[in-house]
Amino acid sequence: MQGPSDETLIAYLDGELAGAERLAVAQALAEDDALRARAQRLNDSTRLIRAAYDAVLREPVPERLIAAARAKESDALIRRVVAQLGRWRDMMGERAWWIGAPAAASLAGIVLGAGLGYFVASQQGVTLAAQQAALNGNLTAANWLDNIAGYHKLFINAGPDDRQLMDVPADGNTDALRKAGQLPSDFHLPDLKPWGLAFQGARFLVVEGQPATQLFYTTDNQALGPLTVVVASSSKPDLAPTFDRRGDLNLLYWRHHGHEYALVGTADIGYLWNISNDIAWQLDAI
Amino acid sequence: MSASFNDQLVAVLPRLRRFARGLTGSAVEADDLVQAACERALARTHQFQAGTRFDSWMFRIVQTVWIDQLRARDSRRTENEDAALNVGSDESVRRVEARLALHEVQAAMNTLPAEQRVALLLVTVEGLSYKEAADVAEVPVGTIMSRLARARLALLVKLESGDALRGSSDDARTE
Repeated sequence: MQGPSDETLIAYLDGELAGAERLAVAQALAEDDALRARAQRLNDSTRLIRAAYDAVLREPVPERLIAAARAKESDALIRRVVAQLGRWRDMMGERAWWIGAPAAASLAGIVLGAGLGYFVASQQGVTLAAQQAALNGNLTAANWLDNIAGYHKLFINAGPDDRQLMDVPADGNTDALRKAGQLPSDFHLPDLKPWGLAFQGARFLVVEGQPATQLFYTTDNQALGPLTVVVASSSKPDLAPTFDRRGDLNLLYWRHHGHEYALVGTADIGYLWNISNDIAWQLDAI
Repeated sequence: MSASFNDQLVAVLPRLRRFARGLTGSAVEADDLVQAACERALARTHQFQAGTRFDSWMFRIVQTVWIDQLRARDSRRTENEDAALNVGSDESVRRVEARLALHEVQAAMNTLPAEQRVALLLVTVEGLSYKEAADVAEVPVGTIMSRLARARLALLVKLESGDALRGSSDDARTE
């Protein structure tokens, strides 16, 4: 008698068979030692596969994920999305303003995830740890860096279609960028062409409850890699350029006259240092 | 969006992390993936149908985001996370061996084709039925069945060619 196929045997072990089919496999197992041994080996491998990932369940869930999951719509967010649509209407005219809707929707998702999310998490008392983190200035600063590093990764991971949903496209004008992003009045787009970096567009974010503008640059120079420049409002005192690291990303950030600036990328710190000097000189932010 | 939506999302985070860890093979990439999936879910709460399984809906989003990322870039595995073994001097040899065996399983999982890995994680690790896994992967039940069988047999061969399966299943149960 021909035994059950591997597919059928595995389905039986997974409890997916019923009726006559299940009885047939059970009968075959009772009569065939080799089949029974094979079933045992499959069961053993199943236990190993489950055990290999069960440790993840016992790990503490990172705060940023709890914050992302706790994010929700709020009046502030709705106002922000509506304002975003209005900006698109102003920039693109009455006929084409609706094209900005996907960008606003995308913005809403990101704002929910990282900006308001952290705030809401701390307000709703997700965990004691989350509340303590919100009260701890150092951890809050660390979270700011976590967020902008995360935004950089989202940009890198986004496909070309997503990149077309920039709040301000590569050919957007600086005035719109300055007004919409609440950037310094004397802000102008840093020209990083001497570094081989081409501006790809900008997105408006809320990071740690503060508006921020993320500028994207790409290059063919693999040693340098794509770069994000973040300009955000800040009520904190000025800070000299400071290095930090998140995963494989280097970050260089500083504060000047109510604004926080950060460079994020895989470029080595020497590159970032020189580019930051260039940007600070161009923006009079040094 | 109801408050319970957030509660459900928070509650399912550990399982999303486990699923994402299995997909990406990296703790860092897995958490980035889960965060991106949360953001996408929150932007599409209206697409969730009340009365259906929330975890399945989220698994589908995680899988979709992961596939989008794979398409947008070459899948790169940045680390083998040997450090995650965290082998301390106070651990018994038996426990260390068990951890190494589990690490071997994860390494073997990472060699499977993406669609087989998804099927295996959904059914064997997450405990979804074939029908539920088919809904998440948006393929027929028969396809899940065959992908799962190919994955299980391939893993069996890989593990039996190493040491993970031989005499270690008891250790695995202690994890």
